[in-house]
Amino acid sequence: MGALSPVAGTRRLGAPRPVEVRAAGGVPARVAGVPVEAVREDWVVEDRWWTGRPVRRRYFELVLGDGRDVTVFCVLGQGRWFSQRA
Amino acid sequence: MIVCVLIPRFALLAALGDRRALLAEPVALAPEAGREQMVGEVSAPAEAFGIVPGMRVGEALSRCPELRLEPPDPEGARGLWHEVLDRIESIGAAPESESAGAAFFAADGLEGLHGGDLGGVLAATRRSLGRGSRLGAARSRFAALCAARQARPRRAPVVVEDGDTARFLAPLPAGMLRARPELAELPDVLDRLGVRTLGDLAALPSRAVAERFGHPGLLALDLARGRDTPLAPRRPPEPVSERIDLPDAASGPQLERALELLIARALARRERRGRTLRSVAVAARFVAGGTWRCAVTLRHASADPGRILLALGPKLAELPAPAESLALEVEAFGPPATDQGRLLDDGGAERRARLGEAVRQARQAAGPEAALRVLDVDPDSRVPERRAVLAPWER
Repeated sequence: MGALSPVAGTRRLGAPRPVEVRAAGGVPARVAGVPVEAVREDWVVEDRWWTGRPVRRRYFELVLGDGRDVTVFCVLGQGRWFSQRA
Repeated sequence: MIVCVLIPRFALLAALGDRRALLAEPVALAPEAGREQMVGEVSAPAEAFGIVPGMRVGEALSRCPELRLEPPDPEGARGLWHEVLDRIESIGAAPESESAGAAFFAADGLEGLHGGDLGGVLAATRRSLGRGSRLGAARSRFAALCAARQARPRRAPVVVEDGDTARFLAPLPAGMLRARPELAELPDVLDRLGVRTLGDLAALPSRAVAERFGHPGLLALDLARGRDTPLAPRRPPEPVSERIDLPDAASGPQLERALELLIARALARRERRGRTLRSVAVAARFVAGGTWRCAVTLRHASADPGRILLALGPKLAELPAPAESLALEVEAFGPPATDQGRLLDDGGAERRARLGEAVRQARQAAGPEAALRVLDVDPDSRVPERRAVLAPWER
């Protein structure tokens, strides 16, 4: 998924972490059980489409009910959700 | 006595790997990517078509349209050759080898270990290497090489007895001198002057040869007369290498970041024990198969990542094809890195030195991952996890 494979002596920064998201119409409504207050921004990233492992993600920058600002994305075509420090 | 171990077509064998059956067909090593368009080592059926190493690819293909060109694997050949040298060392020998496929060692000190005579040493060598190698022995390195070239695999080694060296060499063509890279041009000139054999050359007066050919001529004369320079056995290798996989579209800045990361990791290895790096090699494995390798000897042995990057960075521009992985190998270490006094007060340098010492102590206590730094790999990437990695901290 990344530019450099994880190898001994190096660690990737900002690796995605799986997160439980409840969505309504493709837009997150709850993240890890916490309701979403507002969607600040959303955008799509399509990359490496020329390889066998294309990246297709829809990102959301959200404000949660507890005041946190988080970024999550949905892997398009798979429906899996991850949170990421973007 | 000097023993020569010769494994003909070693680079080709290494490139073919487990497809050695292809040696029964016309096959040749393709030119190394980005180098001159000449074929490398060739199989015996290819030789039957008149194809020789160093021939232009176009000419080789016109002589044999069915010629199969195999991408070279210099990195694989090097690894395989080190295994052969390890086996030679396993019988107690100290081999010298400048190129994969030929090694030399002095048998004099080994006879007591292997039956008391040269035959025992040769038999032990054969046992350790298997039957594919050719063995020759003579008083000088060059004569031993000529003897090994006359030997046949699975047959008895060719041994040139003491005192017979000049007589053995005399009828051989002067072209044998090409075995020494520094004499590669000499045989053609000798041929134009009517000096066809090593015996013809040995008969010439030293002064005349020195006047006409200078130092290379005197070296050739020594070789033809059965004298040679002393062996310089290899130093036991201390393998320190780091490899990293690259994304499909790794380009200039990304490659440089990857190299920076490899340097940091190599400098963080425990085996370095505070020493500087004297000689390093950058290697790459291509997406389309084959490998590339470029060794660099630093003008001043250094443990400064910036300086090492400065020396190695330009080599990345020579990468002739997209690479799937990049590697850095330390070929030789230099003296330990020491702090030198400065003429002017430099508070920054002192702070950096203290920080370096603190990191060293932290690593000693908590392992190599105790001190890391953020290294931008592809800062403009749209995919966040590709932008940066944590790498070993180096000053």
